[in-house]
Amino acid sequence: MLKVLIPTIMLFPTIWLSSPKWLWTATTAHSLLIALVSLAWLKWTSETGWAASNMYLATDPLSTPLLVLTCWLLPLMILASQNHINPEPISRQRLYITLLASLQTFLIMAFGATEMIMFYIMFEATLIPTLIIITRWGNQTERLNAGTYFLFYTLAGSLPLLVALLLLQQSTGTLSMLILQYSQPLTLQSWGHKIWWAGCLIAFLVKMPLYGVHLWLPKAHVEAPVAGSMVLAAVLLKLGGYGMMRMMVMLDPLSKELAYPFIILALWGIIMTGSICLRQTDLKSLIAYSSVSHMGLVAGGILVQTPWGFTGAIILMIAHGLVSSALFCLANTAYERTHSRTMILARGLQMIFPLTAVWWFVANLANLALPPLPNLMGELMIITTMFNWSPWTITLTGTGTLITAGYSLYLFLMSQRGPAPSHIMGLSPFHTREHLLMVMHLVPVLLLITKPELMWGWCH
Amino acid sequence: MADYKEAYLATRPKTLDPAEYFNLSPDYRRTEEERAALRSRLKRHYLVQLNNPHRKELIEDPALTRWTYARTSNIYPNFRPTPKTSLLGGLFGVVPLFVLYFVFKTDRDKREDKIKAGNYERPYKLSS
Repeated sequence: MLKVLIPTIMLFPTIWLSSPKWLWTATTAHSLLIALVSLAWLKWTSETGWAASNMYLATDPLSTPLLVLTCWLLPLMILASQNHINPEPISRQRLYITLLASLQTFLIMAFGATEMIMFYIMFEATLIPTLIIITRWGNQTERLNAGTYFLFYTLAGSLPLLVALLLLQQSTGTLSMLILQYSQPLTLQSWGHKIWWAGCLIAFLVKMPLYGVHLWLPKAHVEAPVAGSMVLAAVLLKLGGYGMMRMMVMLDPLSKELAYPFIILALWGIIMTGSICLRQTDLKSLIAYSSVSHMGLVAGGILVQTPWGFTGAIILMIAHGLVSSALFCLANTAYERTHSRTMILARGLQMIFPLTAVWWFVANLANLALPPLPNLMGELMIITTMFNWSPWTITLTGTGTLITAGYSLYLFLMSQRGPAPSHIMGLSPFHTREHLLMVMHLVPVLLLITKPELMWGWCH
Repeated sequence: MADYKEAYLATRPKTLDPAEYFNLSPDYRRTEEERAALRSRLKRHYLVQLNNPHRKELIEDPALTRWTYARTSNIYPNFRPTPKTSLLGGLFGVVPLFVLYFVFKTDRDKREDKIKAGNYERPYKLSS
């Protein structure tokens, strides 16, 4: 674990001591090396449930895919930001990459944490660089509103979590995940216990986000610059899912009854946010609402607490992280050329940028969960386990899949097909950097078709 | 054109309506001229930008800006709870949650009772 964490902390000297000519090359290369080293975690050699452990950090089959995703994403974020940060003075560029690197450090420590309190502190700590990125480098005036929504929704959800964790510490004497998994089941009967149950989960449900408390997400995703959108969509939402999976161990047997409202909100949210996607005019807003839709499926899968549900949730989280980040990168390429996120403006791009149309095509097919991509595998496992939970859920999940296909195709056809607007000039050709970015997003998704065992969690 | 007769069941197009050209009040003429001047100024502005060989950026369309602003950022100030919007909000946002809770709860409780009574046959071979 320290093999990756210390190089990530060493990114800070790399950023501040590189000469301006080599800043982006050096940081991209450094973070790419960290990403390649982190791939070593995927080889599972440990006999126990946890590997690569020291006193405070460890990896296990749940956190390993998410850690590798986080490490993989940092070079991609730096690649994507290169263009729009270029006009700024050097120290501000360094500050931007510092924020990305500090976000990375907090995320690695969050996913690798073995104590719930450390996870909580890192969970909160990731809010700060993200808030600074959204409010300082966003493009429209609405970014202040977006930052406020983002910060206060997450904080309001996670303050009950702190109280709940302290109560848990008091009743079980420890908050280490290694020990909690073996503790006696808690007798949870009174109303106070039910409020404790809700307090444990609300923070993660807001972060996921669950349908009722999802308002921060479209604002934050749309107003953030591309690296902010990428990290938000790909990793920060998964922090919520990961936290939920860790907490669910402790929360039986109340979860059988109390999970109903949240499962229902998650399922209904799939349909509602999918339908909202069909009416969007803003490109990034559509991708943001599709993130809410997919995460609703993940939340449903986690809340039914079955092995298939957890496995499907992890697979869908990893696949959705890569694909959603890819879609945000593509939306950013359109934005950098036309300076507008309106979908009807950036039309007919297939004739102008044929290779990019391939990336749009693959990314949209992945978003609509085409077999044999892992998106489908995750969704199928979650749909199956929810069908087992109650056969009536198939109406909701099936309709949700249909609507997902609808808006993904709408996104593709709107942006690629049709006549290009005649008054758009000066669409600079695609840089190699942008193609490389898309390849590095989509090739892992395609490779994961061949070895999904890497993502399966405990179904080793 | 003075002997123009419309086709059977058709309406006379506006450009062939004699009221468009005769007996126009000076006020009407003036407003029409002002509107034409505005339109041609806007069109000239657009064509100058369109044909400018050094233009690299997008031609800004204020109507598109207003439209996207209205559709994305200006929704809540113009929202008013009317019977129709309350009905729609309730029908799609509140009622389904309760209906779904009822459906899932009764279905799973029936299954739980059958399991407790011992006569639940698994209809499908699902591992989990």
